[in-house]
Amino acid sequence: MFKIDINNLKEYFKIAFKTITTRRVRSWLTTIGIVIGVFLIVSLLSLSQGLKNAVLHQLNMMGKDLIIIMPGDITNVSSLMAGQKLTEEDMKIIKQTEGVDKVVSMDYTSVVMRYDNEKKTVLLYGADWRNGLDIFKNDVGWSINQGRWPVPQKNEIIVGSIVASETFPGMKIGTETIIKGRKFIIVGILNSVGSKQDDSMVGIDLNIFKSLTGERTGAREAMAKLKPGFSVNAVADKLKSNLNENRKRQIGQKESDSSYTVLTSEKIGSIVGNVMGLIQAVIIGFASIAIVVGGIGIMNTMYTSVRERTKEIGIMKAIGAKNRTIVTIFLIESGIFGMLGGIGGTLLGLIFAKAIEMYFQIHPLFYLKADVSPGLILFSITFSFVIGCVSGYFPARVASKMKPVDALRYE
Amino acid sequence: MAEALLKLENVWKTYKLGEIDLSVLKGINLEIMPGSFVTIMGPSGSGKSTLMYLLGLLDVASQGKVYLQGQDTSNFSEDRLAEVRGKKIGFIFQQFNLLQNLTALENVMLPMIFQGISEEKRKQKAKQLLESVNLAQRINHKPSEMSGGEQQRIAIARSLVNDPEILIADEPTGNLDSSTGKTVMEILTKLHREQKKTIVVVTHDPNIAHYSQNIIHIQDGQIKSNHFEDRKVLWEQENNNVKNV
Repeated sequence: MFKIDINNLKEYFKIAFKTITTRRVRSWLTTIGIVIGVFLIVSLLSLSQGLKNAVLHQLNMMGKDLIIIMPGDITNVSSLMAGQKLTEEDMKIIKQTEGVDKVVSMDYTSVVMRYDNEKKTVLLYGADWRNGLDIFKNDVGWSINQGRWPVPQKNEIIVGSIVASETFPGMKIGTETIIKGRKFIIVGILNSVGSKQDDSMVGIDLNIFKSLTGERTGAREAMAKLKPGFSVNAVADKLKSNLNENRKRQIGQKESDSSYTVLTSEKIGSIVGNVMGLIQAVIIGFASIAIVVGGIGIMNTMYTSVRERTKEIGIMKAIGAKNRTIVTIFLIESGIFGMLGGIGGTLLGLIFAKAIEMYFQIHPLFYLKADVSPGLILFSITFSFVIGCVSGYFPARVASKMKPVDALRYE
Repeated sequence: MAEALLKLENVWKTYKLGEIDLSVLKGINLEIMPGSFVTIMGPSGSGKSTLMYLLGLLDVASQGKVYLQGQDTSNFSEDRLAEVRGKKIGFIFQQFNLLQNLTALENVMLPMIFQGISEEKRKQKAKQLLESVNLAQRINHKPSEMSGGEQQRIAIARSLVNDPEILIADEPTGNLDSSTGKTVMEILTKLHREQKKTIVVVTHDPNIAHYSQNIIHIQDGQIKSNHFEDRKVLWEQENNNVKNV
């Protein structure tokens, strides 16, 4: 290791800065290498963190003592696509599982809805209002913005916030709509719950849903609310094994050919956390490679600079600069390249992330807010500064080792 | 007798060119006394520049010893040599050797930065020296915006900032027209006369030699003659003889 001259850092910063500003185009080009890497890290990490937050926020609106049961295995796409349903018997087993307080079953399909002479396709939810309205209100996080909750068994519907604002702008409470030839009265408009799917739904009573669609048995999804004092994970495990055992007994198959997905908010949270963590690791990996490539660019520039300034190095040595002084000046210079790249990349990354955030505010596919932590900014700038210094190490050493007489004679 | 400021004792400088050893300096013995004004003369390739680099501690001898104020410099580390150069030796080069991206003032202040002198003192001293070489109005200009004579005067100011014991000038007028060159030499003479600075000038220009008391003529890496002021005429005769041949 060589020594660094820390006595006159301020002056050496000035000298290094002058050199950088003298060779503007090259300095910009060198810096861009780092800018790109840092830009990727800052923009993609803040957006993916924002996405994670959005999902977790939605999960927080869902009660912690709620279990969602779906037929099929969530990790097996084909079984989910097969359109399996929970049977009446499944529902009975869920209800009888120890610790389950209430069960509400749901079904959904897409239908054409006519309102005010306009026809549009919407997502129709059939939910068991009589048993389950409480769960929707208290545990799923639904709340009425205008109007009131529907009365079970009546041709009354509630709509999500997007339906009333975008699908049928100007939709009013108390007006009529026609679905599959049957008239319904819009009684309530919900507040946004934070997911595009839920905010775009049209909800009716499950029994009416069944008669309307002709799908008389089963449901695609059920939500079970726990009795107080039970562990949500234990009940979820019990539910799953009960359902699987019953299915095996019925079909006579041995292993998990038939399966159920049993989700708790905690479990969804950890799945989301794992997936996003993996995505973020990949982002950091690729962006770090970009920054290292940028660092090689700095090294290249510094070698060129050392060669070009051979005479200058000779002059400085002649008038009293020690080896460590030369090292310090060159390291500062490459460090500045790194740091400027870090700052530039961070700014561009922030602008990009905020632009994406604004785009999603205008087109709310989901509610994304870029999450820029001070730690991320600090990390990016520090990391790029370090990369700059490391890249400058060898060129600086070459510069400091030059013999003054050789450097002065260099033309 | 006073101690020599710089003393070379049987100094050789040999370069390895592949298989061949090329000796540029061959056993030089030389003393430079404090307060003297010495001219080193010789044709191209005679070794006078190499001698200057050794006197300025910019290079080390292959053999022999270089003493500065009685201290043997051959054991000095690179950093120690740099420190000694910064404190005790001022350089003036033919190419001026100013840093192009620094202003006149910054160029003059630079050697003081390496000595850790405070900014306030640096500015004061640099301004004072630039004034003394009549550049007070040009302190914020960069070398590229100045004439050769002005640049050389900046270099002189720079060489003086750390109050060196000795000034070493390598062809200081080589890139200047004769009247500008004269001004530069007059500044050096004045420094010698009024501030008792020790000055060593390396040149091939016989006119420069007139300013000095001691002329060392070097040829083929050896000192051919070492004339003092009273014998300068003799040297001139020799010089004419060489020319006539």
